[in-house]
Amino acid sequence: MKKALIMTLLLGMVVTQAFAADVIKVAITGPFTGGSAPMGASMRDGAKLAIAEINAAGGINIGGKMMKFEVTERDDEAKNERGALIAQELASMKELSGIIGSVNTGVVLAGDKHFQEKGITKIITPAAGSASMTQWSKAGVKDLSIFRFAAHDGIQAAMVVEEAINRKLFKVAIFHDSTNYGVSGRDDMLNQIKKQGNQLQVVATEQFNIGDKDMTAQLLRAKNTGAQAILIWGIGPELAAIANGMAKIGIKAPLIGGWPLSMSNFLDNAAKNGNGTLMPQTFIEEPITPKAKAFIQGFHKAYKVSRIPSPVSAAQGYDAVYIFAAAVKQAQSTDTRKIKEALEDLKEPVKGVIATWQKPFSTWDPANEDSHEAFRRDQVVMGMVKDGHVVFANDADRQRLIKSATAVKGQKAK
Amino acid sequence: MLKRLVLILGAEALLLVVLAAIPMTVNNSFVLGLLTLLAIYGILLIGLDITVGYLGQINLAQAAFLGLGAYTAAIAVTRFGCGLPTALIAATAVGCLFGGALSFPALRLEGPQFALSTLSFMALTTTALNEWESLTGGAQGLQVPRPPLFGIVLEAKGFYWLCLILLVFVWIAMRNLLSSQWGRAFEALRDSPIATDAMGIGTLRNKAAAFTLGSGLGGLAGGLYAFNFQYLQPQVFVYDLMVILLLGVVLGGRKSLWGAFVGAAIIVLLPNLLSNRLLFQVFSGAGFLLALAAGVRGLSRKSTRPFQAVAPVVAMGMLVVGGIFTTNTEDWRKAIFALMLFAVMVGLPEGLMGFAASFLTRLFRIAPPPLPELAVLDTVLVKKETDGRPLLELQELNHHFGGVRAVDGVTLTVGSGRIHGLIGPNGSGKSTLVNVISGLYTPTSGEILMQGKPLVKGSLFKVAQRGISRTFQNLQLFSELTALDNVMVAMKEIYRSPLPLVLLGLTRGSERRAQADSLALLEMVGLMGESRVPAKDLPYGAQRFLEIARALARRPDLLILDEPAAGLAQPDITRLLEIIRRVHERGITIILIEHHMAVVSELCDIVTVLDYGKVIAEGKPDEVKRHPKVIEAYLGGTVEPADQKNCGEGNVVPAPA
Amino acid sequence: MNESVVAQMVVSGALMGLVYALIAYGFQLTFAASKSINFGQGELVMVSAFICLTLTDLGLPYGIMVPLGLLSGSLLGLFVERAGVRLALEQKSEGWILLTIIIGLLFFSASENIWGRDDRPFPTPIPSDAIHLFGISVTPVEISVAAGVFLIMGMIELFKRKTLLGKAFEAVSADRDAAELMGISATRTVKLSYALSGMVAALAGILVAPITTVGPTMASALVLKAFSVAVVAGLDSGFGVVVIGLFLGALESLTSYYVGSGWREAPGLILLILALAVRPTGVFGKAVIRKV
Repeated sequence: MKKALIMTLLLGMVVTQAFAADVIKVAITGPFTGGSAPMGASMRDGAKLAIAEINAAGGINIGGKMMKFEVTERDDEAKNERGALIAQELASMKELSGIIGSVNTGVVLAGDKHFQEKGITKIITPAAGSASMTQWSKAGVKDLSIFRFAAHDGIQAAMVVEEAINRKLFKVAIFHDSTNYGVSGRDDMLNQIKKQGNQLQVVATEQFNIGDKDMTAQLLRAKNTGAQAILIWGIGPELAAIANGMAKIGIKAPLIGGWPLSMSNFLDNAAKNGNGTLMPQTFIEEPITPKAKAFIQGFHKAYKVSRIPSPVSAAQGYDAVYIFAAAVKQAQSTDTRKIKEALEDLKEPVKGVIATWQKPFSTWDPANEDSHEAFRRDQVVMGMVKDGHVVFANDADRQRLIKSATAVKGQKAK
Repeated sequence: MLKRLVLILGAEALLLVVLAAIPMTVNNSFVLGLLTLLAIYGILLIGLDITVGYLGQINLAQAAFLGLGAYTAAIAVTRFGCGLPTALIAATAVGCLFGGALSFPALRLEGPQFALSTLSFMALTTTALNEWESLTGGAQGLQVPRPPLFGIVLEAKGFYWLCLILLVFVWIAMRNLLSSQWGRAFEALRDSPIATDAMGIGTLRNKAAAFTLGSGLGGLAGGLYAFNFQYLQPQVFVYDLMVILLLGVVLGGRKSLWGAFVGAAIIVLLPNLLSNRLLFQVFSGAGFLLALAAGVRGLSRKSTRPFQAVAPVVAMGMLVVGGIFTTNTEDWRKAIFALMLFAVMVGLPEGLMGFAASFLTRLFRIAPPPLPELAVLDTVLVKKETDGRPLLELQELNHHFGGVRAVDGVTLTVGSGRIHGLIGPNGSGKSTLVNVISGLYTPTSGEILMQGKPLVKGSLFKVAQRGISRTFQNLQLFSELTALDNVMVAMKEIYRSPLPLVLLGLTRGSERRAQADSLALLEMVGLMGESRVPAKDLPYGAQRFLEIARALARRPDLLILDEPAAGLAQPDITRLLEIIRRVHERGITIILIEHHMAVVSELCDIVTVLDYGKVIAEGKPDEVKRHPKVIEAYLGGTVEPADQKNCGEGNVVPAPA
Repeated sequence: MNESVVAQMVVSGALMGLVYALIAYGFQLTFAASKSINFGQGELVMVSAFICLTLTDLGLPYGIMVPLGLLSGSLLGLFVERAGVRLALEQKSEGWILLTIIIGLLFFSASENIWGRDDRPFPTPIPSDAIHLFGISVTPVEISVAAGVFLIMGMIELFKRKTLLGKAFEAVSADRDAAELMGISATRTVKLSYALSGMVAALAGILVAPITTVGPTMASALVLKAFSVAVVAGLDSGFGVVVIGLFLGALESLTSYYVGSGWREAPGLILLILALAVRPTGVFGKAVIRKV
C-alpha cells in the first residue's frame, strides 16, 4: 500500500512537470465555484480571452523564438485551505513564469506567502482586499513579487461616501459581511466619512454572515433609525437577500456599496428590487470605445453569453494578461524574476480595455503600497443597476471615457 | 509467532522509516505539505475510528473537535504566550472536555439520534467560533505563529517530524488500548448495549470514555493543524469536511489503525489525483475491474445479494465514464468521493485495509497469537458454601405497563444454593419479572432484597455489580466478537487495568490471566474448540451455552437463566442439564425460567408458577404440576378431579374438550 | 421594545418554521414505515427545485410545473430508497445513515455541475409585493408556504388514517417480518413512504425557493433545523411538527433580532441536543418499551 503511495507521488510529480522549451507557463487561480464564482470565473475567462488573442497572433517573441502562453487553472473555491494547498503546489511547479488571480482576502493571506518566498510573480486580480498588500508593508519586506491590479478598497469607500453626500443622503446605515472583506470595508467607509468632513451620520451598523438568506432583523433595526441610504460591503447572494428584504419591509433607501453589487448573482436575484443600486466600477459593459466593443463582443462570442457575469473581473483579467505579456516581452525571458523587474518598470504603454496603462507599477517601497498598485481614482467610475444591467450612474463619466479613449492616460501621482 | 512479529511490526517500522526519510531525499515543499497533512489527518482519523469503527456509531462531530483544538492552540499561543507543548496539551484537553460534555446528552442514544446530536454539536461549534469574534477573530480569521519547541525553531521539515512522532505515539497507544479490555468493551457496546450493562460494564461510562478519547485525539490533531496552516477560519470546520473524514475512515477500513492511515492518505492525495486526468482514469478503471471481478464472484457463488454485487459495478462504471467525458474532473470531486464510498460501503464494507488484511493473512499464513493454558475451574469459580437461607427476596413487587399489570403483587423468596424454577403460560410475566430483578425495568412498586439489603432498581449495571448475572431469552451476544472475547469482556471488572498502564502496553499479564480463566469457562460449557470463532458463526446451541459461560465470568452469587432451552434439540438439552448441574455444584444460586417441563422437573428444587402476573402456586415440581390452578392456567377452563389422575409425570396432557 | 417589530419577527419566523415542519414531516413519513430517515433530504429539496427551474425555463407554465416537480421528487425518493436504504433494511443494519449521506453528496455534486453553483431566482406567479396587515408585512409567497404545508400534511394524514395502506405503514414499522407474513409487502410499503417523502421534499423546495433562491446549498441550513423539529416533536407525531416548527421559527427570529443574527441557529441546535438528552422520543412522541 505504501508503495502505491510513493509511486503515485512520483508519478504525480513527473506528470506535472511540463516539457519546458517553447511555452510561457502561467497559472490562473481564483474561486471558480461558490458565492464569489462570477468574479473568479469572469476573471479567468477574460484572462483566457487575452491569452487566446496573444497566442493566435503567434505569441511573444523572446530572443527570436515565438513562445505561446500555456495556462494551468486552479479553483480555490474561496476556501483558505484550498488556497494554501494550491499556492504550495504552484510554488513547486518548475518554470512557472507567473500567476494571475485571487478574489478572496483570506485565500491570499493563506497562500501568497509561498509565492513571495520563492519570488514568483503574481498579479492579484480582480479583487482581494487591501490586507493582501498591507500584509507585506506591515512585515516590512524589501523586495516583493506580488502586484495588485484592482481598485483599491480605499478608493471605492471614498466614492461610496462621496456619492451619499452628493445625493444629500445624510443619515446612513452601514451593513457589512463578517469576513475580512466586509470588516475592512466598514472600517474604510468609517475612515472616509471622517476624512470627508463628517457630513454623514451613521445611525446603524449591522453585520451578516455569508450564506445568510434572511436579514429582516438587521433591516428592521435600520428602518427604525430612519436611515436614508444603506452603505453596504458584501458579495452577491447576500446583497440580493438584503435588496429583497428591503422591498419586503418597505425600506425605500438606495443601496450604495462595493463593486460586487455588479455581479450577476446580485442582478438576477434582486431583479427589480436592485434598480437604483450604486457601486464603483472599473469597467462598464457598454461598447463606448472601439477597444471596449471588441472586448465585449469577443467575450460574448467566445463564451456564448449575452451579458458578462462580472464585467469588472473580466476586463481586469484581460488587461492584467496584457500587462504581464508586455513585461515578458520587455524582459525577453520567461524567468519570473526578470518579469517582475520588467513589471516594476514598464517602458511601453499597454492599451487595455479599462485604460491605457503607462508604468502602472514601480519598484516596491514598503512605505508606499501604491508602488505595486495599478489603479488610481481616475480609472474608477460610479455604476448603477438598471433592469438587470450595470450602466453609468453619471453621464459625465461616460463622456470622459469616450474622450480619453484616444488620448494617452494613466499618469500616476506618486 | 516470530513470523507475525516480523511481518506486521516490520511493515509498520518500514513505513515509518520511509515516511521519515522522504523529506530528506525529495526537496519539494508541496510534497512535504502533503505528508504533514497526512500525519495530522492520520491522528484525526484514528480518533474518529474509535467511535465509528469500534463503537459502531456515526460520529459527525469530529471536525468540530478539530476546530476546537485548533483554536485552543492558537489562542493559547497568541493570547497567553504559551509554548508549543503547552498549546498542544491544551488543545487535547479541550477536545476531551467537549467530547466528555457532549457524551452526556449523546450517551443514551443510538443510531440516527446519536448522529443527529453530534451533527448539532458540529453546527453549534461552527456558529460559536464564527460569532465569538472577540475570542476567535470570527470570519476574518486568526493568524497563528509557530512557537519554537524547546528552543528549536521548527521549519517545515522539523514540524513534519514532530507530527510524525506524535502519530507514532498515538498509534502505539491506541493499538495497546484497542486490543485490551477497553477495546473489547467498546465493541461489546456496539453489539449489545443491554448485555454490556448486564455484564457489569457500565455502558455509559465506557461510551463516554471512548468518545472522549476520540475527541481528545481530534483536539490534538487540531492543534497541529493550527500550527501547520498558521491561519484559521471557522468556515473550514464544517459538515463538508466531516463527510470527507467519514469517507476516509470507511474507505480505509474501520477498526483498523492501518485503515485510518490509508484513509488519511486517500483524503490528502485524492484532490491531486483528480486534477491529473490520466491518473484518475487509470485508478477508476482499476477500481471498475475490481468491482466487476468481485461482483461476478459474488453472484456466481451466491454469497452476496444481487444488489451488493451490481451496485458497486454501476458506481465504478459511472466513474470510468465520467473520467472519459467530463472536461474537468476537479469539479466533480464530491461526486467522485461519493461514488467511491458507495462502492466500498456496499461491496467492500470492511474497507480497503479490512480486505487487504484478511487477504494478506491468508497469503502469508499468519497464525493468530497462541493462547495460554486454561486455568483450573475451581480457581475461576470458587465453590461457595450455601445454607438455603434467603438470598433474594421479592416483596409485593408490581410492574405495570400502562393498564397492563405484567407483574402483580409478586412475593417470592429464593434460597441460596437452590435452583428455583419460574414457570407459567405465555404472557404470565416471567420475563418481565426477571427483567425487573436484573434492572432492565424499574418496578412500579415493591421491594427487592439481595442478601438482606435492598437492591438498586432499574439499573442493569448496578444490579450486575451486586453479584447477579443473567442470560437472555432473545440472545444478546456480542455477535462480532469471538467466543473467547465474549467471555473475556465480562471479566473487565475483575481484571481491572488502569488506563495509563494499558496505553503503555504494560498489562499483558492480567490479559493472559483473563484469557486463561475464560478458556476454563469455555471448557466447562464445551466450547473450548470454538474459542476463536465469531459468536455469530456459532450454531444456535453453542450460542446459548456461550451466553451462560459469559454470565459466569462475573462469578455471580445469583445466575438467572431466561429460557436457556428454547429451541434446543434433545442432545443439547442433555448438555444443558449437565452444565446447569455443574454450576449448581459450585454453590451458585440459579433462577430458571423454562417452558420445558422435563428440564424443570430434573433440575429445580422449588418452582414458582405465575399467571397474569400473579403467583398462583409454589412448591416442588411434582406438586406444582398437579396443582389445579396451574393446569387451569395452562389449559384454560376447570379440570375435573377425574381427569387429574391422568396427569402423570411428564408434560400436562390436554384433555379432549 | 417595539411591539410591531416583535410581532413582525415572530410572524416571519413562524412562517419560515413551517418549512422546517414540512421537511420534518418528510422524515416522519419514512420513519413511520422503516425507522429510517434520509440524511440527504436537503439535497432532495434542492434537486427538485432545480428540476422545477429547468421545467420553467423550458417554457412550462407554473400549473404544469408543480405536479411534474412533485412527481420528480417522488422518483428521487424512490431512488434513495433503492440505492441507499433497502439493502441496510434487509440486513437489519443502520448502514442507511451513511448511505443516504453519500447519496446526498452525489446529488449535491451533480447539481453543482449540471445547474452551476450560483443561486438563481425561482419564478412564481404568486406576487412578491408585501401585504401589510395589522402593522406586519407578509408576502403572499410566505402565505403560500403556510397554505401548502397544511394542505399536503392534511392530505397525507387523512390517507394514513383512513386507508388500509396507512395501516400498513404502522404494521411494517412495528414488525417487518410479521407484516410480511400477513401479506403486506414490506418493501412496497417502504418504497411508498420514500416516494411520499420525496414528494413532500419537492413541495418544500417549490414553496421555499422563491424566498431563498435556488442554489446547491439552499437546503443545507434548512435540513438541520428540520432535524431539530423532527426530533423535538417526536418522529411519530404527525401535527406535532407543525407546532414545534412554528415555535422554533419564531424563536430563531427573535434570537436573531435580540442576540445577533449570527446566533439564530443556536436555539434550534441547543434544543436538539437537549431534546435528545432528556426525551429522545420527543415532546409528542410515545415512549418505547425495550423487550429482551
